[in-house]
Amino acid sequence: MMKLLDITEKYGNTTHKYPFEPYKVAANFRGKPAYVFDLCIGCAACGIACPSNAITVQFNKDQTKLVWEFDCGRCIFCGRCDEVCPTGAIRLSEEFELAVKFDKSALIQRGELDTQYCTECHKPFAAKRLIKYGYECLSKANLGEKRLEESKNYLSICPTCKKNATVSNFTSGKEMVIE
Amino acid sequence: MKCDKFIEALATKIKILEVTRQCEDQVTALVELNDLPEAVRFLYYDMGGYLSTMIANDERSINKHYALYYALSMEGGKMFEGDEIAQDEKCFVTVKVLISPDNLTYPSVTPFVPACVWYEREAYDMFGLVAEGLPDKRRLVLSDDWPDDLFPLRKDAMDYRYRPDMKEHYNEPEYEFLRPEGTGIIDVPLGPLHVTADEPGHFRLFCDGDTIVDADYRLFYQHRGMEKLAENRMNYDQMGYLAERVCGICGYAHAIACIEAAEKAINLEIPARAQAIRIICSEIERLHSHLLNIGLACEVTGNYTAFMHIFRIREYSMKLAELVTGGRKTYGNVVMGGLRRDMTGIEIKESLRILQIIDTQVDEVWDAVMEDKRQIKRWQGVGVLDKQVARDFSAVGPNIRGSGIKRDTRYDHPYDFFKQIEFDVAVVEGGDVFAREMVRYMELKSSVSIIRQCFELMPQTAIIVDPKFHVKPEDFALAYVEAPRGENVHWIMQGSAQKVFRWRCRAATYNNWPSLRFQFRGNTIADAALIVCSLDPCYSCTERVTVVDIKSKKSKILTNKDLKEFSRTLKNSPMKDLR
Repeated sequence: MMKLLDITEKYGNTTHKYPFEPYKVAANFRGKPAYVFDLCIGCAACGIACPSNAITVQFNKDQTKLVWEFDCGRCIFCGRCDEVCPTGAIRLSEEFELAVKFDKSALIQRGELDTQYCTECHKPFAAKRLIKYGYECLSKANLGEKRLEESKNYLSICPTCKKNATVSNFTSGKEMVIE
Repeated sequence: MKCDKFIEALATKIKILEVTRQCEDQVTALVELNDLPEAVRFLYYDMGGYLSTMIANDERSINKHYALYYALSMEGGKMFEGDEIAQDEKCFVTVKVLISPDNLTYPSVTPFVPACVWYEREAYDMFGLVAEGLPDKRRLVLSDDWPDDLFPLRKDAMDYRYRPDMKEHYNEPEYEFLRPEGTGIIDVPLGPLHVTADEPGHFRLFCDGDTIVDADYRLFYQHRGMEKLAENRMNYDQMGYLAERVCGICGYAHAIACIEAAEKAINLEIPARAQAIRIICSEIERLHSHLLNIGLACEVTGNYTAFMHIFRIREYSMKLAELVTGGRKTYGNVVMGGLRRDMTGIEIKESLRILQIIDTQVDEVWDAVMEDKRQIKRWQGVGVLDKQVARDFSAVGPNIRGSGIKRDTRYDHPYDFFKQIEFDVAVVEGGDVFAREMVRYMELKSSVSIIRQCFELMPQTAIIVDPKFHVKPEDFALAYVEAPRGENVHWIMQGSAQKVFRWRCRAATYNNWPSLRFQFRGNTIADAALIVCSLDPCYSCTERVTVVDIKSKKSKILTNKDLKEFSRTLKNSPMKDLR
């Protein structure tokens, strides 16, 4: 019994003064995902990769905005969102503290992106930024001005209208063009 | 080849209808329904098998039948020296039977092999398959208010999002505890929520004076339905993350067992470096689990100083996990085909430094605890698990090794990198709490050595193979990992569209619970919490409490909803009805 007290003497104080003193974490620590709205293009890759459904991407009620929402209470800190994000809009930080406020909504982060409407059916189908990002990627690919302009028009058509166009071209005997 | 010897021996006793091989060390024999008890008994007692898991499966869409798979790990009885089969003959033999949907009964194996009792009770809960001759036919995993005719794991029973209407309170049957006969015996309930238990579980101790004559228990207070969830919507990438959530301590072991079951079924071999890091992580997990349990065993007996010291050392194991995986728990690292994260030279160097600290400081504290005679007296001779009982119930982990049986999956069925690593299996005779804690201490030392060997031997290869794999529907395989609490066994049958058809996840403690009542017998009430603690149990969480009024001796069960309602409003006290 006395020997245990000797060990106490030997090692002294081992606790941290957390939260008054920051807790040092290892490099590559998987903490809370940090979201940078300006970089987000609303591609929803993070939402698909998230195994616990902490990230959701969906249109709001009147479909004017594409809402990106992250619930930290559901997050399992796996870092799949970090891996798949093409623009680096979501990165794992060194923060880990969840118990900061009594308000549950403090755990939720939201980002609202402008909606792109389909030029054919005028229905919303993606975020404007995603279409812009797609166009920027294509413009780097040296397609030539004419094809680039065609692609730009093509990008702003929703997948359903693209499908319908392909089917109607096919049934009317026109040659099928796949961009 | 491996397993052939056992199949030949089994064929001399009973008629085998079909033999299929899953991988090098796993074979399945289809037998007739009436031969089932004899087949399992013969392999278990005559050929030296241990029951690893039993899987019930709804295969009506495949062969118009339900199926049962009794998976036995062939190791030798190990009751005395020499009663062990040669290392290169150890394998898994599965006995399979088909049950017609017109007659959902099968002969129970439990009267011959007691280890099957929980599995057969669960087969009724989940599929409605009735074991004829089963001595204990009570419900096991589903709650008492679950509808009688709904068997959730049947493919046509329910969607995983469906929440059935529970039975009304007054229709809910009273759970019958198995009470011993005799006069002067009183019931002492421990739980479902109790200060000495970390998690909910209802133990009913039958006492004569201060001595426990017998005990019975009700667990699975919140069955999470993970198997159902996995079958319905998970792909293999997500399955790893789900399997990690089975347990807060052995999560990593579950993840690798689950992913390896899928990998084995398609013969996918992962790179050696990934194998080594998987072992490093699972040994880190063993370090912090064993430190937790030794600490709690001190705490339950009132030795808070030792408890605090051990938890101080446990912090280093979390630091280690942080270095290796990026989280304080070894989560989120395993994917099909390998790993997500490699280790750098700096991290390895730092890890070795931390390992050295753990190694020396554990010895310091353990020596001090061993010198404390009062502490040792509380552990010695308490909660004895008899060697024969351990054999009969196929106990696993430190529980069986503390009873003098050399049973360790890392040694019996070396998986991954373990073929290249040298370590001694910690075996202690005695079967009491002291023996189990001693096993844990010895394993702490061997874990440190295993991690060091892994760092030394791991090659500079990739950590993931190109995942160009296609799962074949209806193929199945077992995977086994020695978690801190014992052997975890996962069984996966592949479905179409890269999803699982049936996932059976058997955690280590599932095999340890049925023999617990034998450990209680003859001890005092004061030791009950310590005995449960030394088992290192894995509970889940609760959804209800029992309120007992000691004056009127009436009791009432409050559901989650009732309890929340009362806690929120503080109106309509449930105690009113009891007075």
